[in-house]
Amino acid sequence: MKGQEIKVRAVGTTGSARKLIGTILKAQVVKNEITAHAIGTLSKYPDTRTIFEIGGQDSKIILIENGIVVDYAMNTLCAAGTGSFLSSQAKRLGIEVERFGDWALKSKTPVKIAARCTVFAESDLVHKAQIGHKKEDIVAGLCTAVVTNYLNNVGKGKTIKAPIIFQGGVSKNIGVIKAYEETIGEPVHVDEHSHLMGALGAAILAKTSGKEQDFIFDIEEINFETRGRECTFCANNCEIICVHKDNELIDSWGNKCDKGAS
Amino acid sequence: MKIGIPRGFLYFKYKYFWETFLKELDCEIVLSPMTNKAILKEGIDNSIDESCLSAKVYMGHVKWLVGKCDYILMPRIDSFGKCDKVCTKFNAMYDIVRNTYEGVELLDYNIDCVKGCTEFKAFMRMGKLLKKSKMQTYRAYKRAKEVNKEKKTKIAEEQEKLVQESDSLKILIVAHPYNIYDKLIGEPIVKYVEKLDVLPIYADVTSTKKTRIKYKELSSSLYWTYNKELIGAIEHYKNKVDGIMFVTAFPCGPDSMVNEICLRRIKNIPMINIVLDELQGEAGLHTRIESFIDIIREKKKVVKK
Repeated sequence: MKGQEIKVRAVGTTGSARKLIGTILKAQVVKNEITAHAIGTLSKYPDTRTIFEIGGQDSKIILIENGIVVDYAMNTLCAAGTGSFLSSQAKRLGIEVERFGDWALKSKTPVKIAARCTVFAESDLVHKAQIGHKKEDIVAGLCTAVVTNYLNNVGKGKTIKAPIIFQGGVSKNIGVIKAYEETIGEPVHVDEHSHLMGALGAAILAKTSGKEQDFIFDIEEINFETRGRECTFCANNCEIICVHKDNELIDSWGNKCDKGAS
Repeated sequence: MKIGIPRGFLYFKYKYFWETFLKELDCEIVLSPMTNKAILKEGIDNSIDESCLSAKVYMGHVKWLVGKCDYILMPRIDSFGKCDKVCTKFNAMYDIVRNTYEGVELLDYNIDCVKGCTEFKAFMRMGKLLKKSKMQTYRAYKRAKEVNKEKKTKIAEEQEKLVQESDSLKILIVAHPYNIYDKLIGEPIVKYVEKLDVLPIYADVTSTKKTRIKYKELSSSLYWTYNKELIGAIEHYKNKVDGIMFVTAFPCGPDSMVNEICLRRIKNIPMINIVLDELQGEAGLHTRIESFIDIIREKKKVVKK
């Protein structure tokens, strides 16, 4: 593709910031991450029955039957066992999060770490370090903890059927993949672009949306700014986000009623 | 005489009943405004932490009314019969309010049919408290019953018609009226569902005549009257809607049990259970509702093919 002129026909966004990025890029499709992930994965692995997804802030399980999503669950209240948890623990242990998996593989006797909640896991981890457990055993324990937490919270009550695809940022961690396979007893497949499956899904949705619009790569030169303000028209005090493009208001949201629209 | 009605809890269930009764007795009604963040904050400040979101909202409404009326209408409901109980919050609210806001004047009524305190007796006593004649109170009560029945039947019929005539995707919303019609708790969800071109059908609008028979198909031993009515509606609408959405406020006792029973026993229809608390973040909520609707739409497409 290098040197070739690329023409973008349509733009799709997904993920927690889908609305903001969608507004900035004038996206034709703004889709939630569950649908996007399912569509992206199914385009490469049409036989998929279960998708595990662990990202930075949330984790999800998506169950698929005959190529359509039949059920899903996501963590609703806390971020225990997600990417942000692993990276903060890696920092505490003085390991780069990218090398977390390699450390875990070195372990022969993983320690047990309470995985119910990030706060407990952290104090457990400190305790284990203080009584002299080896670093690789603790790292391996953390990987198992992420998996246990995932299966007990997000995967609670769900029937997990193979083929299983694991994706999201945490799927880059070989220690977690191994922990999954050991716990479930089924092979867990990770695509080489496992962190981009949602994006792939959003792209497919944009492509098939039938809507097209020219896209110019001048985004970098345009100054986008968001301004938050508190609406003062009623006692709700909605937090309104205004998106400005070169000081011109292009969109805003956050208001519960029409009073805030102005 | 000014009577304050807090816009929370049973107001949404008995509004026609209460309003007609009080108007017939020549009382002026002061209704607290729709829930906003200020009311919620007052409620949270005046409740214990473990209280449910709906109760916190209610406490906020009561606080708003204090000083703006002569009496605040405050029912105390325990039972409608031997196996017809209500959530303990409705037994307790009268005492909680009296002990939280000292000196507040309450127009209370007590329904506890197991102990012989019927609705009729309760309303006759209220008339006496308001210094109205027995005859006038009796007439007001009868009239309130009539109006309530008329309005409720009309709304139920309208919904029934809508279910039959509309081609759009239909979701049955199973939630207590005080949660789903609340401006801050339920309304944002309903609005979001409507934005996705989905027609919300309300479980609580179903005629109680039908629901009181049908709930038994799901559980014969339940004793929460209001929950029985809701799950009776599920049985009534199950084959006419595309999905069921449970909306409950954290940590509602009856709902936590009844919704779980439903999720386990009802088969072959997509369901989602949404639990709300005062720390609302809408992003996760929107993702969940949106993907739930996506699933239903995809399934429908496959069936059509």
